[in-house]
Amino acid sequence: MIPSNGKGSMSMASSSAAWKAGDVVPDQFPAGLRVLLVDDDPTCLVILEKMLRACLYEVTKCNGAEIALSLLRENKNGFDIVISDVHMPDMDGFKLLEYIELEMDLPVILMSADGEKNVVMKGVTHGACDYLIKPVRMEALKNIWQHVVRKRRNEWRELEQSAIIRSCRAKY
Amino acid sequence: MERNQMHKHIFLMRQSFFDQGLLDEQFIQLEELQDDANPNFVEEVVTLYYRDSSRIILNIEQSLERNPLDFNKLDNYMHQFKGSSTSIGAKKVKAECTQFREYCRAGNGEGCMRTFQQLKKEYAILKRKLENYFQQSRQAGPSETACRPRMN
Repeated sequence: MIPSNGKGSMSMASSSAAWKAGDVVPDQFPAGLRVLLVDDDPTCLVILEKMLRACLYEVTKCNGAEIALSLLRENKNGFDIVISDVHMPDMDGFKLLEYIELEMDLPVILMSADGEKNVVMKGVTHGACDYLIKPVRMEALKNIWQHVVRKRRNEWRELEQSAIIRSCRAKY
Repeated sequence: MERNQMHKHIFLMRQSFFDQGLLDEQFIQLEELQDDANPNFVEEVVTLYYRDSSRIILNIEQSLERNPLDFNKLDNYMHQFKGSSTSIGAKKVKAECTQFREYCRAGNGEGCMRTFQQLKKEYAILKRKLENYFQQSRQAGPSETACRPRMN
């Protein structure tokens, strides 16, 4: 059940509200997707925010990993996806990714002007669900909602599988 | 100057930025984001870029005065600056950034300093030209055509 609120934002509030195949996705999706944008470059931050808003996403922007983490911790179910730059002075994107995976388990997209394969590889092996090379294009941002759906679907699959295992165990 | 002539002049000015390689596709992405809610978006972003990047330029300048040079630090600063410049489509400036970083990796101080001078030059030229462009655009007012002139 997707609760609605006046803001019309996509609220996948409880973790038990994982989507099942065949669920009806609200009509306005992916509009209202709640994105946390993290980049220490003020110019990039403004541009990306505008692009994400043009995709009809709900954007919260911040200029550092520490702020991002406190926002995420304060507002446990307030975001659907995080997009973060890799090179930031206070904490790099890889470290932020680790924390998020541990504490909130949200999909994280990393971005960088650095397109070198070993850095991209690092992002992917750290668990980033995508790695965008800057300058990021609108087309790339329009598709980020897929990562949210994919993660929810995988969560549902895991829940289903553990339920099956439990019911098998109960029989024996 | 008559309105239509002004618009034509501005159109040609803008075209020259692309023809001369000062700006790339990314600038067009910014233009496409401009709308009624943010009618001066491009100018605002460019202004923000110049304001913020002047800080990095200063950092690089100070770092280049050190002896010995800290190439790691210089490369880091330049990475930041390149990212910013890329985001507004500053093509020539971006190329100088790439060159600078190559010299950093090679530990070539001379090369870094030379490239930095060139970079500052391109950076200043672009600033002047864009400021002029925005000012004239504002004077001319909104153009008749609904769609933006494309690059080619």
